[in-house]
Amino acid sequence: MKVLALISVIMTGALLIYGTEEMPDWGDPNSPASSHVSPGYIQEAIEKTATPNMVTAVLADYRGYDTLGETTVIFTAGIACVLMLRKKRKGEGERYA
Amino acid sequence: MLDYIISKYNFWMYIVLMMIGLYAMVGKRNFVKKLIGMNIFQSAIILFYVSTGVKAGATVPILSGHGHGHEVIEVAKYLNPLPHVLMLTAIVVSIATTGVALAILILIYRRYNTLEEDEILKIRKDAGV
Amino acid sequence: MAEQFAALIIVVPLICSFLVPVIGWWKKKLCYPWVVAVLVIPVIAALGVLNAVMTTGKFSYRLGGWAPPWGIEYALDYLSAFVLLIVSVISLIVAIHSKKSVEEELPEKTVPFYTLYLLLVTGLLGIVITGDVFNLFVFLEISSLSCYGLIAIGEEGAPIAAFNYVILGTIGACFYLLGIGYLYIATGSLNMADLSGILPNLYHSKVILVAFAFFTVGIMIKGALFPLHIWMPDAYSTAPSSVSALIAPLMTKVAAYVMIRIMFTIFQPHFSVEIVPVMPILGWLAVFAIFVGGIKALAQTDIKRMLVYILVAEVGYIVIGVSVANQIGLTGAILHIMNDAAMMACMFLVVGAVFYKTGTRNIYEMHYLNKKMPFTMAAFTITALSFCGIPPTCGFFSKWYLILGTIDAGQWVYAAALLGSSLINAVLFFRVIECAYFKPMQPAYANDGGETHLEIQRDEAPLSMLVPIIIMAAGVILLGLFSGNIISSIIQFAVPASF
Repeated sequence: MKVLALISVIMTGALLIYGTEEMPDWGDPNSPASSHVSPGYIQEAIEKTATPNMVTAVLADYRGYDTLGETTVIFTAGIACVLMLRKKRKGEGERYA
Repeated sequence: MLDYIISKYNFWMYIVLMMIGLYAMVGKRNFVKKLIGMNIFQSAIILFYVSTGVKAGATVPILSGHGHGHEVIEVAKYLNPLPHVLMLTAIVVSIATTGVALAILILIYRRYNTLEEDEILKIRKDAGV
Repeated sequence: MAEQFAALIIVVPLICSFLVPVIGWWKKKLCYPWVVAVLVIPVIAALGVLNAVMTTGKFSYRLGGWAPPWGIEYALDYLSAFVLLIVSVISLIVAIHSKKSVEEELPEKTVPFYTLYLLLVTGLLGIVITGDVFNLFVFLEISSLSCYGLIAIGEEGAPIAAFNYVILGTIGACFYLLGIGYLYIATGSLNMADLSGILPNLYHSKVILVAFAFFTVGIMIKGALFPLHIWMPDAYSTAPSSVSALIAPLMTKVAAYVMIRIMFTIFQPHFSVEIVPVMPILGWLAVFAIFVGGIKALAQTDIKRMLVYILVAEVGYIVIGVSVANQIGLTGAILHIMNDAAMMACMFLVVGAVFYKTGTRNIYEMHYLNKKMPFTMAAFTITALSFCGIPPTCGFFSKWYLILGTIDAGQWVYAAALLGSSLINAVLFFRVIECAYFKPMQPAYANDGGETHLEIQRDEAPLSMLVPIIIMAAGVILLGLFSGNIISSIIQFAVPASF
């Protein structure tokens, strides 16, 4: 079982490293990731959102919906823990919802 | 050759870290070790993403002292903010998943009094499941 | 108002799920009516969206007014509107059914249960409607976390099954995230429409190939395609009845929807079919899924585990339809998404009602159910006929299109697998029908001092369970009768045009 896990892990790692061959170099300012969408964020964040911190501007304004989803994820995890772990207390009746 | 390694070694390091985490998730027999492997895997993915936003010689994507002046903002001087944003969400998701998994482990421990997969299988087989 | 339907369909269940703990603290009895009332709104909104798509063509809804690719948008076309309607209708019907079984199985956990129920439905609706790959990941995690929590409170063995599901599900989601990462490094964008414009220039890049591979494996884990289905039998069969009735029809179908989106909208059919040889691999895995699902189902005595193995086979049907990659096959696959969701929902609702009334899920203990629960068993028989592919139920039509699609592509082994699986389904269901309808060897006689006669009372399921079951069974027949209309008005346009 451990041998099988080791083989599949090595194959996955090899596939990932094979994919890095054609990636842009580390720190390249002309990579597609740095030249397609993010110049718009960097140049226009201050005038459209009046926030000097660009990460906050993207997080709370442009992609604010993802932040709402992330808050919902925390809420879901909290309710899941309540669902699983709350023990029934004896003699308390209907005090809890 | 050395040039090639220097330009890609960050990705390789994070891939090795990911694979360590993945091996722990799949190959280990103790539930807590699987959980720690899951954490390592997700942390390595987060590091991988953040390293894609680096630009040589750039500074953090926070404008200081510009106020509302309409000066030209040079794109190559600031890091790419988008991977940081995505990874803030991914960190939160990772914490939430770890929390739910730990709650499930508490349920398992209350029932079987052990967290080793082999022992639990033995207990279930003896009980006739 | 009509323009905002696309936003309402997510926002209403989300905000109302935050309100369920508040309402539950005040009065616990109000949770169930509140949940049912809230779930009516996504159905209306989905009908509105489908109407808008059918009259004006596909449209997109920008969240916050930011233009894509800088902001997030919803992409509403025929396929997503169709799947939205399926998800919202089935979640409403299962919610109506859930009242008695939650009171029986989870007495003091009603409030968190209904909260997670609404969150799960929100997550599924969000996966279907969004047009941004990272947003899909966030909603995938919302629905997965609710699922882990809901499964873990089931019966004996449920926490272990839930933990295995956590580990495998997280591997799947993290592979999906890695796929997004590789795609982002190569293109710089996260919007589906934008990606489908940029990617054709990059089809021969290794980065894109690895991204595609990781997307496919991640979605295969979430959608339980053989051989990555191993988490599913334990998890779905030890979960509480309402939970299995909700997640069994929906989660695998939404994963199949995501697979169709990735393969045919983001990566154009030219890439998925011709450049990357993934279709034969998927086709053969689906054939194995059908056989392994069928054979393992034959070995089960617990009816819920048998149904979950049949679900493994049904996922194989949809993937065969995707892998033959022609117009008819894909039509069959999309039609089967709808039909299988309806059939599975009806089956699991029936099993939930039988479990509520008799307390057993063992096939060989289900005697005299035709006298005790006639309407429930009638619904069971109709759905069993649909699984075997007998007209005019809906199962026949989707199998018909799938078989035509495989013959069109020249894949005779796939067609043989589909036909063989109908036979195995017939054996599986007639086993249960025989036990429930026909008398066993030692009937239960009421000993009355010499005179022996049968004493079986009619003990039908309560009305809140019976009405959804009858609605779903009627739906199975009606969807079959109207499948021609459905195909010509909706599905025909949902298939990508370049086939």
